[in-house]
Amino acid sequence: MLKVNRICSGYGDTQILEELSLDAKQGEITVVLGPNGHGKTTLLRTISGLLKTTSGEIEFDGTSISNEQPENIVSMGLTHIPQGDLLFPDMTVEENLLVGGFTLKNRASREKKLKAALEMFPQLGQRRSQRTRTLSGGERRMVALARGYMSDAKFIMIDEPSLGLAPVLVEEVYGYISTLTGTGVSVLIVEENFSHIKNFADMVYLVESGKVVASGPPAQVAADSAVMATYLGIQV
Amino acid sequence: MSDQIVQLMSSTLIQGSLLAVISMGMTLVYGALRVLNMAQGVLVMMGGFVGYSVTTSLHASPWLGLLAALVVTFIAGVLTYYLSVKPLIGRRGVDFEMTAFISTFALATIMQNLILIGYGPRQKPFPPLLEGSINLTTSVSITYHQILIGVVGIVSLTFLGLFLSRSRYGLAITAISQNLDAARLMGVPVGRAYIITMGLAGSFAGLAGILLAPVYFVSPNAGDLPLLQALIIVIFAGLGSVKGTLYAAYIIGFVSSGVGIFLSSTYSLPVLYAVIVGLLIVRPNGISGRPQEVRL
Repeated sequence: MLKVNRICSGYGDTQILEELSLDAKQGEITVVLGPNGHGKTTLLRTISGLLKTTSGEIEFDGTSISNEQPENIVSMGLTHIPQGDLLFPDMTVEENLLVGGFTLKNRASREKKLKAALEMFPQLGQRRSQRTRTLSGGERRMVALARGYMSDAKFIMIDEPSLGLAPVLVEEVYGYISTLTGTGVSVLIVEENFSHIKNFADMVYLVESGKVVASGPPAQVAADSAVMATYLGIQV
Repeated sequence: MSDQIVQLMSSTLIQGSLLAVISMGMTLVYGALRVLNMAQGVLVMMGGFVGYSVTTSLHASPWLGLLAALVVTFIAGVLTYYLSVKPLIGRRGVDFEMTAFISTFALATIMQNLILIGYGPRQKPFPPLLEGSINLTTSVSITYHQILIGVVGIVSLTFLGLFLSRSRYGLAITAISQNLDAARLMGVPVGRAYIITMGLAGSFAGLAGILLAPVYFVSPNAGDLPLLQALIIVIFAGLGSVKGTLYAAYIIGFVSSGVGIFLSSTYSLPVLYAVIVGLLIVRPNGISGRPQEVRL
């Protein structure tokens, strides 16, 4: 569904991604795993059009989306939920979600989707008219997920859904991601912590220095103890 | 005493609404684009000239002049975007905020001089949209035009508030002002939102121009004072804050009317500046401003 073929990308003259390739299949949960500062966020920012590629090809649903404008990519059904949530701090929860539904052109369909989102995240219903600046970290993460859901995406990329959350909340957030995939959405997750996703992912790509160094189902990647020890510091 | 209070209230309302209309365009543009649009004053002046041209050459009603001014200044605002802002967006190694500040100022100077060449330097009269006046108390009277300023100001600002908090593109513009990257990831076409913002800001300037024209006449310099007032208000408000701009406009309206009525209008400006300096020492980002992120 989402095919990334040998892309190079970066910031200015600094190249971060070096011929990175991956293939995320429809209906699956794909995870990009790797240590901090090795290009995972850059990868998502490049796929969603915030950064340009210098070479390589990105294909979504059979169409090339390399260097396409972010708004066109979202309209095609590929949504990126950014790291650190990037909420609109002085807008209410409801307004945040409505902006998330920007690609739904008519008001009725936005309202309908809003209702569905609030059913999926009941906690947000109570916070509806509260400014997101005043929410807790866990609630903000939920707004970010719900806002991404609002776009009517077929494929959602989530950058570090567990970042900065207490263990109990991490579980809750992954629970919501399961609910999302239950609605037929395919997911690509960027994660640093293997244990969060080992029972969850269908496919894992281990990224180091802007390249994929290992890939396969989580059990297979974990079985390669050399890989785990070298890149994740995990002794299996 | 009660006369003075009536006078203070009505004057605050009128001046505050006028100042809010004058400066709202600047706030919208700064919020979405992080550009201090120095052409805002010239757009105010241009609104007056459009109204003047329509009423004198077509002998039309000043209301038609208002409508024409809104349309022409909307277009002029969009042109300002294409000529002096868009070429600078996304240029590496360019201090966008400062460069756009200078380029809008340059464009404003060119537009002002074109109007000077076309119409000459003399002040031109413009009829009030409504004639006549009414006595609020035995000694306080207020013109219908002043009432109109208050009403039009409040109605247009209410409309703007609803647009920004309810409509699809209004919410998008608000979102861009709070987090550009996140707005892009939600599928907001940023270029189109910038165009709408600059056009809308232009129309607010045009509206201000028509409201000011019967009081201060139409002349190529008619935009200089509004520009200065708008700059003071948006900084006092906190750059880019719509709510702050409303507070700032009415506070400034209140202070300058109050000093004018109870002391002497000579002290209006000194007291006003003292209040602003005082507030900025306590809150350097203005009434409801926040530290800003850079654009693209």
